[in-house]
Amino acid sequence: MEDRKERRNQEWRKELRLKTKGKDRTSIPRAEMPMMDPLERVHYQDREVNTGLDLNTARQEATRCMDCVNPECVTGCPVNIDIPSFIKNIERGEILKAAGVLRETSALPAVCGRVCPQEKQCEAHCFYLKKLKKPAVAIGYLERFAADYEREHGVAEVPEIKKNGIKVAVVGSGPSSLSFAGSMVKKGYDVTVFEALHEIGGVLKYGIPEFRLPNDIVNSELENLEKLGVKFEKNFLVGRTSSFEDLKEEGFKGFYVASGAGLPRFMHIPGENFNGIMSSNEYLTRVNLMNAAKDEFDTPVFKGKRVVVVGGGNTAMDSVRTSKRLGADRSMIVYRRSMNEMPARLEEVKHAQDEGIEFNTLTNPIEYFADEKGHVSRVRVQKMELGEADVSGRRRPVPIEGSEYDIETDMVVVAVGVSPNPLVPSVLPDLKVSKRGTIEVNEETMQSSVPELFAGGDIVRGGATVILAMGDGRRAANGMDQYLTEKYGK
Amino acid sequence: MTDLSTSFFGLTLKNPVIAGSCSLTGNIDSIVELAKAKPGAIVLKSVFEEEIDLLYQKEQNSIYTQNLDPEYLNYFDYVIKEENLGKYLDLIQQAKKLVNVPIVASVSCITSNEWISYVKRFQDAGADAIELNLFIIPSDLKRTNEENERFYFESVRKVNEMVSIPVTLKVSYYFSNLAKMMKDLSSTGIAGITLFNRFYSPDINIEKEELTAGDVLSNSDEYLLPLRWTGILSSKVDCPIAATTGIHSAETAIKMILAGAGAVQIASTIYKEGPDVIGKIIKGIEEWMNRKSYKSIKDFKGKLAVHTEDITAYERVQFMKYFGNKDK
Repeated sequence: MEDRKERRNQEWRKELRLKTKGKDRTSIPRAEMPMMDPLERVHYQDREVNTGLDLNTARQEATRCMDCVNPECVTGCPVNIDIPSFIKNIERGEILKAAGVLRETSALPAVCGRVCPQEKQCEAHCFYLKKLKKPAVAIGYLERFAADYEREHGVAEVPEIKKNGIKVAVVGSGPSSLSFAGSMVKKGYDVTVFEALHEIGGVLKYGIPEFRLPNDIVNSELENLEKLGVKFEKNFLVGRTSSFEDLKEEGFKGFYVASGAGLPRFMHIPGENFNGIMSSNEYLTRVNLMNAAKDEFDTPVFKGKRVVVVGGGNTAMDSVRTSKRLGADRSMIVYRRSMNEMPARLEEVKHAQDEGIEFNTLTNPIEYFADEKGHVSRVRVQKMELGEADVSGRRRPVPIEGSEYDIETDMVVVAVGVSPNPLVPSVLPDLKVSKRGTIEVNEETMQSSVPELFAGGDIVRGGATVILAMGDGRRAANGMDQYLTEKYGK
Repeated sequence: MTDLSTSFFGLTLKNPVIAGSCSLTGNIDSIVELAKAKPGAIVLKSVFEEEIDLLYQKEQNSIYTQNLDPEYLNYFDYVIKEENLGKYLDLIQQAKKLVNVPIVASVSCITSNEWISYVKRFQDAGADAIELNLFIIPSDLKRTNEENERFYFESVRKVNEMVSIPVTLKVSYYFSNLAKMMKDLSSTGIAGITLFNRFYSPDINIEKEELTAGDVLSNSDEYLLPLRWTGILSSKVDCPIAATTGIHSAETAIKMILAGAGAVQIASTIYKEGPDVIGKIIKGIEEWMNRKSYKSIKDFKGKLAVHTEDITAYERVQFMKYFGNKDK
């Protein structure tokens, strides 16, 4: 792969920079993402809100990029995608080449373009924002555009791969696993991905609703992997259906564990086990994966009319917006800090507001009450104020004495975070695991204390973004490749 | 046969010497050692609300949390709270299993929100009683005395709604009208009030010109403040009183009981002399009782309590008498 600086010095890049003057670039306003009307879209769980830029808009937005000598957007990206290179390819109209640049580093650019918190990553470091105090280049929109264009127009070439006959198993089928699988199959390995659920994709399918990330996007990537030779086994729990020893006997030489952090967390406040109160994991999995919203299916979900979702992250936004789409009269967020401290992507919060979601910030639940049938009927909340900042820099929520009041509700979704999947650590006593249940690995190679086992994504990090999980997968592929080559030759 | 039994924590205790809340009552091994000395009860080390914040800060500082999705850490304090609480519930259960002494769970909170709800879990784990260790140091310029006082009543009300086991309070002396507050709190249905919390005290090193910590352990003359207020309050409040701070000997314990305390809580002296001091003090009380021909605690409890209604006038007369006659 060419050095980023070498690429910047290519003739076409130099010419492109000269083609449009700086002040002309900076006078272009940031592109707006076309989207479905809020009043219409709240009726559809499976229609994407954002509809994507068209070619002209994308090229115009790409023209805004100044192709900086020292692009800080690259350092803002957790996996250091060569952002200016892909954007400049869009500017000159070479969209498939732009997608190619993205694929050098990111296995799922169509996903990242949709779910990365760009406002905290690449775009937060954009020259426009930092120096001109103007909206950043819409890097996320452009990444999505290039990836979607490739999917719609690209000819999926199946490269010639020299197989080495070495079998590797992947545990979990989320973004980290898919990234690892894609890298390993291209290196010639015989890759099988084992997934506990009946659908491949992990959090991309069970967690993120289709109005944010359509299944088609994920399925398209899965098809590409299948074409490359990756095998998928569904309804298979490694550690239960088969043990690691069983898989070794079947000939698997290496294992990549990316089983994620899907263990729900609760607040353990009084009344939390009343009927009608569930984790966001359960709620979203039922709706996204088990068609719970459709009456003709046998796996229902309670459709609340006065839904309270506790939390302020993307999962909380996904849950509360889902409840709206499922017919709630009131869909409410209860979050103990202010809007400024919400970890959710800004775009998700904005979309939620447009859809009529009620935001009760500086508010925290302290107890639930139920009706005579044991079904939740109200939640007692307490107002909060922001105290001093903690180590993370966010101000602490401090309860205001005597500020309690009740909110009527018939359904509560608790979206206060998740913990690592405990299954694999529980069946491998030699596997070194942190006190928080994350698998400990070498940061460079992603190798664990069990030599043939590598791990990445949320099962290592506890909780991280899709882009970081994918970066782990790529790094682990390099690490495992080196390990297996040394052990078995190729 | 001398009967040392007494009543506090809503329980009948075999004797009035209680092992008070301290680090020695925070782990099962030292609880077992303390229990061998047969105290009347053991108050477990208080669970402090602020501990969670400190542990949360420590977690955030740890290397592995870098680059984490902030959503993961957003409510992580609840994870830490639950872990801490889990350990405490285990401690209660283990203590109940291994020792034959009433076990009192203790919680210290400064906000009466969900922390109060944990007392129900202490009860479910088998605690015989709850000690609410409430103290607000009145240093907040934005907080009125009404707000401070309301905190106590709200906390007691909420806890009483949640549990059926006895609830006692351990309080500070920072009230503008201590007597009225204690009287009103005693009428809320609580099973006892312990006077007083002992605070961390800052000190100054004048050579280094920097702040240091005052002595962590109490001195034997620190008993005078709780003695006074035990004497003043014991006949006026509607619940039993226990005294704590500076009780290092049987003699001081006896003084407290004469002043009206149903029990005494000791901690510093256990650090200094070991668990055997509990037995030493119990024996000292028994020997004194035998000498004085008292058959039971109630025979002399409160004998020297101040029954005067107008304490202020009484104290002023005593002050004038004492200081006025000092040189004579």
